Amino acid sequence: MTDNTLDRRRLLTSAVVGGAGLVAASALGSLAPEAAFAAPQTIDAGAPDPNFAEGRITGIAAGMLYVTGSDTALHRIRITNATSVWKLIPTGIDAAAVGDGLYARGLRMDDGTLAADAVWINIVNLQAHIVAIGKNQLHLDHKGKRIVGHVVPGRSAVSYNNTPAVTDMSMLKVGRHVQVIGAWVPDTNEVQIATVYAGTHSH
Amino acid sequence: MAALTGEMSWFCCGSSWGPCATVGHGACGTCNSGNRQHAWPNTSDACFSITRPDRCGISGMSRRGCGFQHTTTNRCNGKSVTTSIADCGPQTDLFCGERACCGGVCGTNRVIDLTPAAYSLIASLSSGLQPCTITA
Repeated sequence: MTDNTLDRRRLLTSAVVGGAGLVAASALGSLAPEAAFAAPQTIDAGAPDPNFAEGRITGIAAGMLYVTGSDTALHRIRITNATSVWKLIPTGIDAAAVGDGLYARGLRMDDGTLAADAVWINIVNLQAHIVAIGKNQLHLDHKGKRIVGHVVPGRSAVSYNNTPAVTDMSMLKVGRHVQVIGAWVPDTNEVQIATVYAGTHSH
Repeated sequence: MAALTGEMSWFCCGSSWGPCATVGHGACGTCNSGNRQHAWPNTSDACFSITRPDRCGISGMSRRGCGFQHTTTNRCNGKSVTTSIADCGPQTDLFCGERACCGGVCGTNRVIDLTPAAYSLIASLSSGLQPCTITA
């Protein structure tokens, strides 16, 4: 474990203890969703990452997310006002709901909690091809299973081979391979689309 | 292997939720989203016949099997992570010629998929796609 890690742990501990008045873990690194990274680690390649958690939210209380991992491990994820939260858009912890899935990265504290730098709620990254296009919908085939992707006005965008992302999805065609970053909707098992990366080949 | 530049993305594997709930543990049988692992397009003849990086003009992508370690550097911020092979992928030929850029730095063609645990160490999951350099 590096000195930097220890410094971060001390800072995050004080942040947790300090509650709303915390200085913010960003003193040792950005906490924006696009730049929330943990300190250098000595974790072996291939090994589970103790500073990462995955699972579904089973409870929310006083700045803590209680999460049951898909492997049944239980996680307590501490949210501070320095934690970045993504749920289709950068948002706050108020957007989290019991039943949501998540990935979280932060720093595992001595008491076993994960002090989160970043939490991505319901985020999915689908490699799929388009099987139908409806009004504000893309019907996707993801590993042989159909998934409905909903276009969210003002949010959903598409990037055609490194062109700047645009909201106009009219160039998407049935059969086109796509990568879709979106937010899974647990109640319907459908997806709200954040960004579509259009492939160069069709199915 | 000489350093390979291209695009990196992320994928889920192992026990998970949502659309990832049924994806399994990957070609090596060891893949988990919470582990520092990656998918590599040239793990076997069978794998290569699916991913076909050669169709995108990529040469020098070494044949490497399960457990082999690569270090991936996010060219947008210089952050690196070392991971081991746990699956076959990405399907490079479906996105031939695609570029991911940040500022003036670009990567062309998909050459590696990292698990969420690995990708989130060097980039935000919501970024989806980033230019990278890979070394053995």
